[in-house]
Amino acid sequence: MVRANRNFDYTIVAVTLVLLTIGLVMVHSASSVISAQKFDDPFYYFKRQLMWAALGLVLMFTMANVDYHRLRPLAPKFIIASFLFLVVVLIPGVGVNRGGSQAWLGIGSFGIQPSEFAKLAIILFLAHYLADAADRMESFVRGFLPPLFISLLAVGLIMLEPDLGQSVVIMGTTVVLLFAAGARVRHIGVLAGGGLLAFAALVAMAPYRIKRIVAFLDPWQDPLGKGYQVIQSLYALGSGGLVGLGLGNSRQKYLYLPEPQTDFIYSILGEELGFLGCATVLALFAVLVWRGYRTAMYATDEFGSLLAAGITGMIAVQVLINVGVVTSSIPATGITLPFVSFGGSSLTLMLTGVGILLNISRQAVR
Amino acid sequence: MRITQRTMRRRFVILLFCLLAAIGGLVGRLAYIQIGQSSWLQQMAQATWERNIPVEGTRGTIYDDKGRTLVYTASSPVIMAVPAQVKDKPGTAKALAGILQMNEADVLKMLQKVSAIVYISPRGRRITEQQATAVRNLHLSGIYISEAGKRAYPYGDLAAQVLGITGDYNQGLTGVEKQYDNVLAGQRGYISFYAQANGKRMPGTPEFYQPPADGMDLQLTIDAQIQQFVEREIEQAVAEYNPDHVTAIVEDPKTGSILAMANYPSFNPADWKAYPPSTYNQNLAIWQTFEPGSTFKVVTLSAALQEKKVTLNDRFYDPGYYEVAGRKVKCWKAGGHGSQSFLNVVENSCNPGFIALGERLGKDTLFSYIKKFGFGQKTGIDLPGEGNGILFKLSRVGPLELATTAFGQGVSVTPIQQVMAMGAIANGGILMKPHVVQAFIDHDTGKVVQTVQPTEVRRVIDASTAKQVRDALESVVARGSGKNAYQPGYRVAGKTGTAQVAVNGRYEPGHYIVSFMGMAPADNPRLVAYLAIDYPRPRNGAAVYGGTIAAPIVGRILGDSLHYLGVPPSSAGLPKKASPLEPAKVEVPNFVGMTIGDVKRSALQSGAQLNMEVVGSGKYVILQSPPGGTQVAANSTVRIYLGDTSPNPQAN
Repeated sequence: MVRANRNFDYTIVAVTLVLLTIGLVMVHSASSVISAQKFDDPFYYFKRQLMWAALGLVLMFTMANVDYHRLRPLAPKFIIASFLFLVVVLIPGVGVNRGGSQAWLGIGSFGIQPSEFAKLAIILFLAHYLADAADRMESFVRGFLPPLFISLLAVGLIMLEPDLGQSVVIMGTTVVLLFAAGARVRHIGVLAGGGLLAFAALVAMAPYRIKRIVAFLDPWQDPLGKGYQVIQSLYALGSGGLVGLGLGNSRQKYLYLPEPQTDFIYSILGEELGFLGCATVLALFAVLVWRGYRTAMYATDEFGSLLAAGITGMIAVQVLINVGVVTSSIPATGITLPFVSFGGSSLTLMLTGVGILLNISRQAVR
Repeated sequence: MRITQRTMRRRFVILLFCLLAAIGGLVGRLAYIQIGQSSWLQQMAQATWERNIPVEGTRGTIYDDKGRTLVYTASSPVIMAVPAQVKDKPGTAKALAGILQMNEADVLKMLQKVSAIVYISPRGRRITEQQATAVRNLHLSGIYISEAGKRAYPYGDLAAQVLGITGDYNQGLTGVEKQYDNVLAGQRGYISFYAQANGKRMPGTPEFYQPPADGMDLQLTIDAQIQQFVEREIEQAVAEYNPDHVTAIVEDPKTGSILAMANYPSFNPADWKAYPPSTYNQNLAIWQTFEPGSTFKVVTLSAALQEKKVTLNDRFYDPGYYEVAGRKVKCWKAGGHGSQSFLNVVENSCNPGFIALGERLGKDTLFSYIKKFGFGQKTGIDLPGEGNGILFKLSRVGPLELATTAFGQGVSVTPIQQVMAMGAIANGGILMKPHVVQAFIDHDTGKVVQTVQPTEVRRVIDASTAKQVRDALESVVARGSGKNAYQPGYRVAGKTGTAQVAVNGRYEPGHYIVSFMGMAPADNPRLVAYLAIDYPRPRNGAAVYGGTIAAPIVGRILGDSLHYLGVPPSSAGLPKKASPLEPAKVEVPNFVGMTIGDVKRSALQSGAQLNMEVVGSGKYVILQSPPGGTQVAANSTVRIYLGDTSPNPQAN
């Protein structure tokens, strides 16, 4: 193996920093009203996000300078630690319940989300496992099932919180990794079929679920209940139009759209910056995905390739789900928009992931 | 190793394209929402942001026939709360409750409502200026003081039941206020602004003001002066007879205009909540139905004359009863009226005579006239709450029912129906539709927008028949049962009525409704007046008759009103048959325009036994009371007012 001593992918750095900046500006704009209302301080969320961003950047540049191969031996330890945390967070009194989901550890606003760390730990572990599993991937039982089992175990624990968004991201990222690692398409088809069967079983047990899931098709059926958030999101996007109402001029952030600084920050972005702003952000993510897979392709080894593909896949899956929900294109699933939404664990983990990606790119062979 | 990495690379490319395609799909979706659907989403969003604070237009003024203001809208402060902006709700509730003298818990409940705007009712509406100042000085957040219209009544309770009342939101509840609520109310305006989801004003957004449109003014046919005459008479009647109810109506027969309409008991519209609901919810003049009694004989007479079943010179013998289907129906006068002409029958209000007329007409003809005169159905007056009245079903009318109907028993009618029927006789046989509003006036410019034209309902009898009936009725006043309505100089025609009141299907002893229905001048009637007194209780225990109680009141109403309207007295009418009990009368000469010397000479020459009282100083008589031509008792006092200029040069 040729060890190249080169600079890391500056496009990734630039795109990440631009997205992070947009995120900080939008967090401030979207949260100022709700911050003032809740905490009598319009900068409450912004100050915290700024702090998390600083910490995240430190982590990013640290990881960019740590040889990612040194992470591989730690993968089993990380995954065990993650599972421990995922169990600990479920203990009443230890984990903190926010918005109906027992997902936080820690005190007050400085809680951390074990599920965020679990995502990265799973990517690390699957990359570690799949890097040497090329010969086993032909087999469903020996190659395909073991990594899937790890992910399903994590998803099982996360669904106890419950946190549907993180579960969907983990499964999506797992599928991306399995596919990248050369899993047979037939096996992935079996997984998809199994998922559909499980879903059908859930619906058969409680038929109301189907209504809830297809509610996104016509949110106006229940405008003050399940459809409320999505309707408010569409109002925001629609009001924005082509060029938006201008930065800071959102009206939906005046307490109409719940939690405008986290899962629905993209709606406020669309209202203030319009379709052009929305499309620009998606374009930035597209560039990031492109550079991420380019890194995966040129990585020096399978572990690096899979790690890069997993991290990029996680980012991509989160973007698709977040924007899909905000535009009412898929059923409601709570997940943050990477680098943009408010959230300490999400932001620091995303930046850590980008740091690892940068280190892989640095060692890549062109 | 290399082989797997090659596989991986192929798969990376596939993954990259899939993810980029998905992102591209989302861009398309965004374009659809943000460009394609933008306008209606924006509209929906705006609707959720927008809050409208209503601003009321001024409710229209109500004028009388001569343009006197009967009701207008005075502005008074009103308290509004925007609950989302009230920071300290218990504290605010306590402060407001203290000033408004309300229950603190009630106020708190209003402040806690999930609503954009809350009125602190009932005491927070129409508060005094002192209360408004007190509230203003507290500088309570989320509490606003706005102006609201409050109905004011310069004439107090005059014509209260015609005007009607308005509720807390200035909405018309009864009377003209209700009937013409849409016209009077005008169009509500509003202040529009963007609000946050919690109701607070959204910063940095524009405010829009849609000014309200004022309501239209109404001009009534009611004449405040005539209404005052009527209410004064009712007041006196109430003082004298302590009745249950009194109802009076004055109509212009040529147009169907109602010049006065009043009832007892009445109420003060500015403070209507302090009165029993029956006073402000019912207008007895159009709602109450009762047996009319003898006033109804006018209908029978008209029908019989029109159908040529009788002439007034025909003779009739009244033995004191009339036998109908084997039963003797008695005349009100024991022993009967004996031999008399049908004119005497009318003058005497002789029941057997009218039973005979009813039989000559037959039930079909009589009932067709009753219906043509408008009984049994609403007159269509522009006031809410009119009654229908009840007639016998034609199939149920036997000889006895025909007989009682002919003299006004067994039918049930409203006062307004009787007035309109009498009006038809006064109006040459044409029944008019009554109305109380004559014009709609723009509140801001004062210009008449629309006038109400008189509406003919139908011709009931010929003009010549109507004249015969009027002559007969003039004779009733001059020589018959209605003589107490006689007004010297004004030819009053009319008919008395005394009906016993049935309570639970039985006539109640001592309970009568006495009435009089009159018109004047008989040759060319300008006014129809009607008065009914329900359960008069004379202090001396005298018998109650329409002729003794109601007739003089209607006479005075007609006399005062005609004099007020400037209708000249005439001497062409039937002279009054002197009653032995009445003192001799003398006619007052006209002194106006004379010098004081002439007056003395003239008074001596006329041989009138009159006392003079001189008021003021000057060369000429400018006014005298009572006016020239008036019949007064001998030895009455005539007051003459002196001035320096002659008001009447022709007199010299």
